[in-house]
Amino acid sequence: MFKSAASIEKLANRLARLPGIGRKSATRLAFHILKLSREDACELADSIREVKDKVGFCSICNNISESDPCRICSDPQRKQDVICVVEETSDAAAMDKVEGFDGLFHILGGCLSPLDGIGPDDLKIMGLMTRLEKGVTEVIIATNPNVEGEATAVYLARLLRPLGIKVTRIARGLPVGSDLEYADSATLTRAMEGRQEY
Amino acid sequence: MIISKLKATGFRNFASATLAPADGSNIFYGDNGSGKTNLLEAIFLLCLGRSHRGATDTIMVQDENPFYRVEGQIKTTDKNYEVAIAFQRDGRKKVQIDKVSAKLSELYDLFCAVAVGPEDSVIISGSPSARRMFLDIYLSQFRKLYLDDLTQYRKALSQRNAALKQGHDPSPFGTILAEIGARIILGRIQFLRELAISTSQFYGNISRGRSLMLRYEPSVPCDDDTDDLKLITERFLEKLDQVRIREQAVQTTLVGPHRDEIVFSIDNRPARSHGSQGEWRTAAIALKLAVYQMLREKRRMPPILLLDEIFAELDQHRVGGLIECFGQFGQLFLTTAVEPPAALSRDGRSFRIGENRIEGSQ
Repeated sequence: MFKSAASIEKLANRLARLPGIGRKSATRLAFHILKLSREDACELADSIREVKDKVGFCSICNNISESDPCRICSDPQRKQDVICVVEETSDAAAMDKVEGFDGLFHILGGCLSPLDGIGPDDLKIMGLMTRLEKGVTEVIIATNPNVEGEATAVYLARLLRPLGIKVTRIARGLPVGSDLEYADSATLTRAMEGRQEY
Repeated sequence: MIISKLKATGFRNFASATLAPADGSNIFYGDNGSGKTNLLEAIFLLCLGRSHRGATDTIMVQDENPFYRVEGQIKTTDKNYEVAIAFQRDGRKKVQIDKVSAKLSELYDLFCAVAVGPEDSVIISGSPSARRMFLDIYLSQFRKLYLDDLTQYRKALSQRNAALKQGHDPSPFGTILAEIGARIILGRIQFLRELAISTSQFYGNISRGRSLMLRYEPSVPCDDDTDDLKLITERFLEKLDQVRIREQAVQTTLVGPHRDEIVFSIDNRPARSHGSQGEWRTAAIALKLAVYQMLREKRRMPPILLLDEIFAELDQHRVGGLIECFGQFGQLFLTTAVEPPAALSRDGRSFRIGENRIEGSQ
């Protein structure tokens, strides 16, 4: 099919490597790009190059950033003694929307998962330990509430507690604005276990 | 719960078959291979949307047919339901309750059924994993959270085993394993505590006074009468600590619900090593009838009871004892290759199954 134009086949193959894109979609996208004006197509290529050139990782918190240190780490208005530990950058972005939290973040770059060959040395834990020497009073562990996230939380808590730093774990329970009748029984049970005095 | 009408199309050896069962006992008799068990399978499918003997949907479709459809009427304490289960060879499966599409899990919420068959003996005579599988399947019907915990537990277990194999510290996953595992152990303790009593009662009645005991032996040491989740979690962690060096050597987790055992003993001797075929059959029947009784209490209605060739391998006394138990049950369906015992056919409705059709159904 692409025998007349090997470059289209090459583009389609590259696109098919992206997450959520199958072979059919990749072919459709490749033909769409072919139909684009030269200007639009180059703009797409340039923005891909720009992302790779400009965006790096913050050397302090491991967040993606165009500057080093990142916007959050270099903000003097934020509380410097509270660090919220998350698995991925997207988790930090979600946690940053939390009202009443204006501390710093630390991105682990994943969670413990021996099945995928990920052990403690593959996570950015050393960087976190170095940061703690600068007068941190509380570490909030906000890894995901699944088996791997919980095990990572257990590992971190054990590592940090002997240092005399307050270690907390975000609560598990019901999403705000939802209806009880639609909640699954596992969530309801955890919410019941974690109930608080009114 | 009562099934008042059943129609099976393209199902197993039946091109089209209809059945109008009685509210009490229904007996299917006929030669080997005539389709008696298939009919039980259709009834179980109508109630819970799956085969009672683990057959896939593709296997249940009649050879030349592109689909099967099993439909019928089920009466529960509060209302009458029209249920239909259909499957097409291309993989589409449809459940309808009162002509509205429904999820398979909705059937579990509305109906309940217990099947007893020759394959159950393996629960008593087979390996410990057969007993754990029995526990897991039935406990999940009593507590939805049990199934959630089981899934999470398996995940934590494979992560911990992988950590042991790679020489990583397995303890973070050990903590999670103990937390979830303790909930599973407690669920099993509470379930078996209740089940043990009625299992021995049924066994005593069927075998005319012989005794069957069942005892849960978790790999984490704890008492049968404990309800203390925190204590079980602590014991679990202690035990993990004790076997740490051995686990590092064998690179696998040696403690937890995945290593639990249920010990059955007949007249104070271990059933697995000392029991006869007939004793295993009787014990398995008693166990399933006890599940039936627990389900009836919990759901506040008698489940449908399916009994597949249960008289085989039993002596006359046991057959008599078993039939006496039938008075306690609601609607039941029973298959037999031989002439049904007179005491049974007197009170029930009999159907002769032969040449892929049902006689006596009108």
